[in-house]
Parts: sequence; structure tokens; C-alpha cells
Amino acid sequence: MELTRELQEHSGFRWVLDQLTPMSPFGRTAARTLRWYGPGQEAELERELDNVALALDLWNTDGGSPLRGVTRCLPLFHDIRGSFDRDPGSPFDIVELFEIKHFLVLLEQLIQAYETLTPFAGLSFSPVGEALALVDPDGRRLPAFAIGNSYHEGLAPLRSEKSALEKAIRAAGGEEKPALLERRRELAVQEDQLELEVRRDLTRKLMAFREGFLSNMDALGHLDLLLAKAKLARQYSCVRPALSANGSISLSGLRHPQVAKELAERDEAFTELDLELAGGCTVITGANMGGKTVSLRSVVLSLLLFQCGYFVFAKSARLPIFHQVSLILADSGPGAGGLSSFGREVHLLDKLLRQAGDGRFFLALDEFARGTNPQEGAALARALVRYLGGLDCVALMTTHYDGVSDAAGAQYQVAGLVREIDGDQNDDPRRRIARRMDYRLISTPPGAPCPRDAMRVCRLLNLAPELIELLQTDL
Amino acid sequence: MKKLLAPLVGDASPVTVIGLCKNAGKTTAMRRLMAELEEECLGLTSVGRDGEATDLVTGTEKPDLYIKKGDLFATGRGMMRLCDGTLEVAALTGVMTPVGEVVVFRALSDGYVQLAGPSAAGQLPPLCDCFQSLGADRVIIDGAAGRKSLAGTGAAGTALLCTGASLDRDMGQVVAETAHICRLFSARRPDSAPLCAALDACEGRFALFRPDGEPMELPLDEGGQPRWGKLPRERCVLWVAGGVTDPLLKTLARRGAPLTLAAADATHILAGRAAMDLFLRSGSRLVVRRELTIAAVGANPWSAYGWHFDPGRFAAELRAAIDLPVVNVKEG
Repeated sequence: MELTRELQEHSGFRWVLDQLTPMSPFGRTAARTLRWYGPGQEAELERELDNVALALDLWNTDGGSPLRGVTRCLPLFHDIRGSFDRDPGSPFDIVELFEIKHFLVLLEQLIQAYETLTPFAGLSFSPVGEALALVDPDGRRLPAFAIGNSYHEGLAPLRSEKSALEKAIRAAGGEEKPALLERRRELAVQEDQLELEVRRDLTRKLMAFREGFLSNMDALGHLDLLLAKAKLARQYSCVRPALSANGSISLSGLRHPQVAKELAERDEAFTELDLELAGGCTVITGANMGGKTVSLRSVVLSLLLFQCGYFVFAKSARLPIFHQVSLILADSGPGAGGLSSFGREVHLLDKLLRQAGDGRFFLALDEFARGTNPQEGAALARALVRYLGGLDCVALMTTHYDGVSDAAGAQYQVAGLVREIDGDQNDDPRRRIARRMDYRLISTPPGAPCPRDAMRVCRLLNLAPELIELLQTDL
Repeated sequence: MKKLLAPLVGDASPVTVIGLCKNAGKTTAMRRLMAELEEECLGLTSVGRDGEATDLVTGTEKPDLYIKKGDLFATGRGMMRLCDGTLEVAALTGVMTPVGEVVVFRALSDGYVQLAGPSAAGQLPPLCDCFQSLGADRVIIDGAAGRKSLAGTGAAGTALLCTGASLDRDMGQVVAETAHICRLFSARRPDSAPLCAALDACEGRFALFRPDGEPMELPLDEGGQPRWGKLPRERCVLWVAGGVTDPLLKTLARRGAPLTLAAADATHILAGRAAMDLFLRSGSRLVVRRELTIAAVGANPWSAYGWHFDPGRFAAELRAAIDLPVVNVKEG
């Protein structure tokens, strides 16, 4: 499945990824390259989640002390992939050889530290000894690199002659100096040629280990990403999702971390949600500003995290693997190519339904068809609920239209503006609504009418009283 | 070789060699200082790219830097092919330049080097620390040449100022301009400790204080720019983070109420002699947050443009105008 930029942004998945703190360039690359585990890859997904669970255990053991050896090394790596993406005929320069040596010395230390840990499944490093011997022939592991005399039999005599000459140059007077400098230049050119020969030879030998280098960089990236995933899970008390056996979604204590953070900045708390979604379409109704869209986004976020091998932001989660996960938001603006927001919605839905035969899918729809006339819109929404009921999918739709949930498998209603509070007339309208709103989702028998809270919300938002009076008369 | 510069710089590190213009003899002075300090392990770098056989700007021949075995130097990766000694890669700095990342090398033999170090002031102190951790006794920085490029390039610690005939055909002008720069570099931190602390804590572009360091309100216009005409009439201290220019000094001088201007350091003062004279004549004073010291002035009577000064007279006139050692770096 393609994880579009739009889906990542709208669900909050992008925000979660931005909270990851991989330590090495390889971890950062791994975090950018999302791996999607689709149907048939359950075992691999379980293995990845096992690994995250193991990493989380390690972080939780004695303040992460078992990981110290690994986490000390990871930030010190430089990305040297570029050096291995070369024409075999072009030799490494000494800075590249220094970087390769630095990489290997560090990797050797990391492997030693890694070997003391319970191994992560499917994560191993290829041995570095032979390659390291090429760039560190004396085995001293010093953090420096030079083409030493041992690399070529011609180097020692040449350098010794040059060194004697340089001493003579230092002592020489003005007249003899140019000739000595010229001789030195000739020796320097010869030295350069010998060094080039050595570099060519080293390059050829090191490039023979190219696959080992690249697979070690991938392993480093994977290890770093696992540690970052677990760190995030620890920070936000995420839970390991279990694979649902019956294909339904079960989430309790569900949160949307991005919304929760924004609320916390305003000293408000996120109301955790509990949801059970079986096959067919479930409908969410409720007051405006009651958090219906946030519920949709939270479910989609959980599914995306799960299928990318991350823990989810909930107290417990049992989730199936879908072929496709989609989110169609009502207010994501008009689409390209001259489509209105309604046109765009319909276009996206159509595209999705055409792929419905590919496998079980999840679809979240935010106030579908609200952008057209209410009678037709409601009919369209009802028809869609009925239609989705016959497909191999789990769907979740929010709506203000009555009768839409008649054909739905289940219905949830936001508890709504239930609290009676007086004396905060001068407060921020947003806060006044939040104070009165119970954001919990209450399971309701399908077919229950939509609540009528628009007028109360208008009042709380301080809409002109004259206008509200007219509205009341009309109702 | 007679030790001319080494006694003047003493134990200072880093030493930044700066020039008033191109071809002021900066590289000659650097070479001389390196030769005089032959016993020390030196860490060498430059602000931006320099040390080339041909000066990129004027096309005149410039001396190469020839360093001794054991010295350290930092240069852009792309300059490596122009360095002909036996080299050891000692560290990578992570500092990127137009000629690649700045790499610290150790010279395993004598040889020519091409320096192209960091160009931002903030990148020099970590590099100096790196040199020190690798065993350098002293760091020498080939600094910027020309007033504008000096600003903000962190002429850290002690400077050697190079001046010469290339600056102007008129020797009087060269002497006066050199004296002006020396006067700027003589600016000190304020006497009041609370004021020093207040200046050290300044982060904005402008701020206003009483002479005892007590903050004062700076009148601003709608665009957030200070309203110079509305500054208080009593003695106050104006902090200016960026370059101090001619128009600013003239505006402040014309107010008729003397104040103290606090600049980041002497290199941030871009204003010319006339404006500075006007400002100081109004009774105003100049202080700096960071003191810089000129250890000596190197005088180059030869210009790159065909005219030359009489070496003896040039040195004599500089000595008469400046209260600092003046040396001819080509001298014996």
C-alpha cells in the first residue's frame, strides 16, 4: 500500500514519525523508509513487534544500562554509503579511507556491545575483521589514518630520502634552495604515485566487502530504528498491538498523541476512547466539536502504526492486517483538477472502491457527502453504509445525517454537551465548550437519531443573539 | 632568522593574522611567524579559502604556506590534492565549506598546504579545541583581509594586523586607516561589572542600559527599529549586535547628547574614520563586549598595483601614528 503524504499528515502518522529520535544517519534513513506489513506478512510483523518489545525491555532495565555500549557508538557513525557507490576504477582518497576505518573501528565496538544483549530476531552483523585489517594493518585502532610505509615496499626508502632532503631545505641558504625544492617536488610526485597505487589496491580489496558494508549499515539502521521505536513507546506509554483473529478492531484507552499534546499545552486532557469495530460500517454521531474527527484519525493512526511495526497509542489494541487503510476527510480542501470538496470525496471513494476486490480494507469517512444538498447527501451516505456492509471491509463514518446509521453494523455517539455549568460567560468559547463536553464514545443501537446540539454550540461560541433567536423561531 | 613576531605574540593562542586589504602581506607574516615558532607544534587554518599560489582576487603571485613535519592543519577536503606532504587524517570537523568538509590533517613530512578553513566565526573555537586535543601548542589562523570581510569572522584573541601599499596610493591614507583600525581594536570592556554582565547576556539586535547596567526602555517605531531621536538625554549605553555603520554613528553624534556605544567586538565596527571621529568628538565613547588585541602591525610597502612606498618612511610614519610595534615582516 502507498502511504501517501496526505494520509500521513491527516492521520498524525507524520507527527509521530517526527517524534522519533534515531541516533545514527543509518537510523534516520531507516525511519524515513517506511516498511508496510500487508496481508501474508503477519509473521514478519510479529517479529518486528517482538523486537520493539525486546528493545523496550532493555530501555526499562536499570535505566537502559544494558544498551549503553550500543547507544554510545550509534551517534558517532558517519554515513559512508556514498563512498561505496562508486566506479570501481576510482580509488578512495585518504579521507574516505579514514572514514571507512572510523566506521569499522566503531562497528567493531558496537558489535561487541551488541553481542552482550539478547539478540534481536533477524538482526545480525557480518564480521568486520578482514576489512579492518586492511585499513588498520598494525591493529592499533587509532582514530587516524595515513598510508604507512608497510603498504608498499617503495614508500620507506622514498620517504626517508625526502625527509633528509626536507632537513637540508630547512638549513639551506637562498641560492641552493630552489634546486633542493625542485628535487623535493619530484620525490613528492613519486610518493603520490606510490600512494595512488596503494589506494587503488586498498579500494579493490575493500570493495570486495561492499555487500558486507551495506548490509551492516542496514543492520545498524534497523537496530537504531528499533531502539527509537521503543523509546517512543516508552515515552508515550504505547502498547504492543495484538493481531486480531476475527478481523475486527478492538481499541481501548485510545489516544491521539498530537491532539493530546495540543490539549496539554492548554491545560486540558485528552479523553481516551474505547472502540470495537467489526466488519461493515460503524457510524459515529454527536455534537459539533465533540471529537468525532479525532476518533477517526486516532483509529487510522493506530492501524498505520501497527502495519508499519510500531506500538500504538492506547491501553490495549487488537488489530487486523488490512490490504489498504484510507482516510477521507471532509475538510481537507478542494482537490486538484477542478474538483470541489464533494467532487474530491466522491472521486477518492470511487478510486478506493474500484480496488475493493484486492483484499480486506479499512475506510474512515469524515461526514461523507456533507458538501452537497442535505437530502441527497443523507441518501448518498445511507446508500454507502449499506454498500460497505456488503464488502470485505471495516469502515467508520461520522455523520450529522439522521437515518444513516439505520443500515450500519454499529453506532457510537459522542456523549456530548452534558455538563451544566454557569458563570463562565467571559471565558474563551473553546474552553467553555470543552468544559461542558463529554468526549466519550457511547455505544448506541444503530438507528438512534443524531443529537441536536448545533444551537447550543452556536450560543457557546457567542453567535449574535438576534440570529440565534431567528434560528430558534425557525426550528 | 631574527625573531621579530614571536616575542610580540608571546604565549597567545589562537593568533589571527588579519589584513587591511588584499596583498597586505598577510601570508608573508604568517609564514614568518610559523618559521619563528619552529619548536612548537602548530595548528593552522584559515577563515575561508586562502594560501594559494595565485591570489584569486587580484591575480598576483602569493607565497605558498610550507609547513613542517608534525604540524596540524585544517582545510577543505577539496584542497587535499593541492597539499604535497605525507598526510595523516586526524579528524573530521563536520564543518562544510564550498571546497568540502573541513578535515584536520597531521603533516607526517614537511610540505606545501592550501588552507580553506571554516568561514563562520562560531566554527573556529571548536576547531581550536580540536587542534589542542590533537596536541597543538598554538593555533594560527589566516584571517580575513579587508574591513568588511573581517566583521564577524572572529578575530579571536590576539591579532597580527597587516597593512600595506595595496590599500591606497596615498601613504597618508594608509597610515590614517591603519591607525583607525588600531584605535578600534584598543576598545575595552566597560569598567562596570554589572554592565559587562548585562552586555554578555544581550541577544537582541539593540538594547539600552544605564551606565550601571540597569536596563532602560529603548524607544521603537512601528517597524521595531529604534527611534534614535527619542533616546534619553542622560548618559546611557546602547548595545548594537550587528555592524556599526557610518549612518548610525553620524545619527548618534548629531543628537548632541553623548552616549556609550557597545559593540560585539572591534571587527563589528564598519564605520570609517570620519564618522568615528565625529562620534567621539561629540563626547560619546566606544566599548566592546569582547576585547581584541593587536600584538603588532606588519607593514608591506609593496603594492600589487605598481606603486610602492619607501619602506623606511612607511614604517616611521606608522610608528608615529600608532602606539603598537610596527614590523617589516620581510626584514632579515
